[in-house]
Amino acid sequence: MAVAETLPAGTARGGWRGLLSFGDSRALGAVLLLAPAVLFFLVVFVVPVGLMIRYSFYQQTQTGDLTASATLANYVRLASVDLYRTVVMTTVRVSLWTTAIAMLLAYPLALVMVRGHRMVGRALTVIVLAPLLINVVVRTYAWRVILANGENGVLNWTLAHFGLGPVQLLYTEWAIIIGSVHVFLPMMVLPLSAALGKINPAVEEAAATLGASSFAVFRRVTLPLSMPGLAVGATLVFSLTASSFVTPALLGGNFAKMLGTLVEEQILVVFDWPFGAAIATLLTVLVMVVNLASIWLVERRFPSRAAEAN
Amino acid sequence: MSEGGLGKGALLLYSITGVITLFLLVPLLFPIVLSFSDTPFVVFPPQGFTLQWYAKVLNEPDFTTPFLFSVQLGLLAAAGALLIGTPTAMGLVRYNFPGRGLIQGLVLSPLVFPMLVTGIALLRLFTSLHSNSSLTNLAIGHTLVTVPYVVRTVSASLLLIDPGIEDAARTLGATRAMTFWRITRPQIVPGLFAGGIFAFVTSFDNYAISMWLADAENFPMPMAMFALISRMFDPGIAAIASLMILMSIVIVVVLEWLTGLQRAMSV
Repeated sequence: MAVAETLPAGTARGGWRGLLSFGDSRALGAVLLLAPAVLFFLVVFVVPVGLMIRYSFYQQTQTGDLTASATLANYVRLASVDLYRTVVMTTVRVSLWTTAIAMLLAYPLALVMVRGHRMVGRALTVIVLAPLLINVVVRTYAWRVILANGENGVLNWTLAHFGLGPVQLLYTEWAIIIGSVHVFLPMMVLPLSAALGKINPAVEEAAATLGASSFAVFRRVTLPLSMPGLAVGATLVFSLTASSFVTPALLGGNFAKMLGTLVEEQILVVFDWPFGAAIATLLTVLVMVVNLASIWLVERRFPSRAAEAN
Repeated sequence: MSEGGLGKGALLLYSITGVITLFLLVPLLFPIVLSFSDTPFVVFPPQGFTLQWYAKVLNEPDFTTPFLFSVQLGLLAAAGALLIGTPTAMGLVRYNFPGRGLIQGLVLSPLVFPMLVTGIALLRLFTSLHSNSSLTNLAIGHTLVTVPYVVRTVSASLLLIDPGIEDAARTLGATRAMTFWRITRPQIVPGLFAGGIFAFVTSFDNYAISMWLADAENFPMPMAMFALISRMFDPGIAAIASLMILMSIVIVVVLEWLTGLQRAMSV
């Protein structure tokens, strides 16, 4: 859903020359159609994000004004104070675990969606997509009910029946990971099933005919060919988990803080705008680095596929 | 290959998939089960059966006011996204020019940019501009993050129609506006519908933008639910969750019936 795939140019006529040969009237058409969106996005998105990043290089005085000269103090504070370093590490750790578990769970789902019986595939597609339309707060609330510490939690009640437990999961990193996997799994399944759908079954059949075992076919043929989809899915799940607020706030509470909950506290409770802006900038850089690394990896290993996708 | 190409491992694969499907669906059943419990607190297993919690929350202003506010906000966002997204899709599909990729990347970027950060940037902007109308700020923020959905669904619709008909109308003397209203619009209705529904649902469920821009009088549904979780301990909160799940199921059915869920979500 959130895959920013490129739109095909469709019926477009090529280049400025093509545009101008139709006379000024055509060029005017394109400008009239696109100007509102470009203006809107510049004013309420590009410029504000730029200003916010700029803010992160200043400090707030007692009166709430900004200091005169730029400084890296906010970033130094983020890197040197133990509490904040812990939050950064928790964010990276939770996002990596969520991504890894989502990959493991998404593979069988995507395979059955693409290769399974047609009716099963269709039903599975609806089952995977439908939860995306249920509010994150509602989905996270369901996990609070399940993971609740004490005897009223669904999980602990069930464990007690088998003479096990109780476990303390709510307000731990694992609660955030479980909740995040549940919320973001569709984002991994969708690009993965799209990539699997593009693999020509004849390639796999050829490998099998030539004597490769089912596992060898999967490991040597299917898995490598599905890498672009896996990379897109992993990037999405990592980015969404790292920048989430609701799931860490409701399942991690004060005991497992992530960057999303920290930045909310700094801006809406402490009102330390410049420090909040620095946290937000760090979050942006983290997400962008992962995105660029993923693009670089896919283009290096699959130059032809990357070109095709554009 | 048997089983439509899954090979020998088919049975194992189906079993694993079944278990993962349960992991996806079963958690969503618990709020529903607990909402009927005749106990003063949320307990598992639920005891007795009552509909009193539904009666309670439907008369609870802490639920109904934010619900109606989110409907209003969702409609504003959908209108804004259609107004900005439709011409953008037409410009991107019908014309090719240097910088086309850049503009396309720009209008789709809210989907990949951390939304939490977008919200902070918007709060900074509105504070600097002394824009104190929370509803206006929220509507602008929600429009920004829903435009990409409209651009995608409308583009998909535009690619299916023949631009020659539009050229013919223009040649025959129709103005740009007339050509759009009489020729293009009727042909892209499914795209406009799907885009509008998506914009509405995305706005209705949005938290990452709202959390920065809302105030006590302009308080959207997801934030109200978040606040209620930490101060409402009776099964009423489960009833609210169940009502939200029910609403999502209705939307899934409508989308599946309208265009097919998979196509609507442009998978």
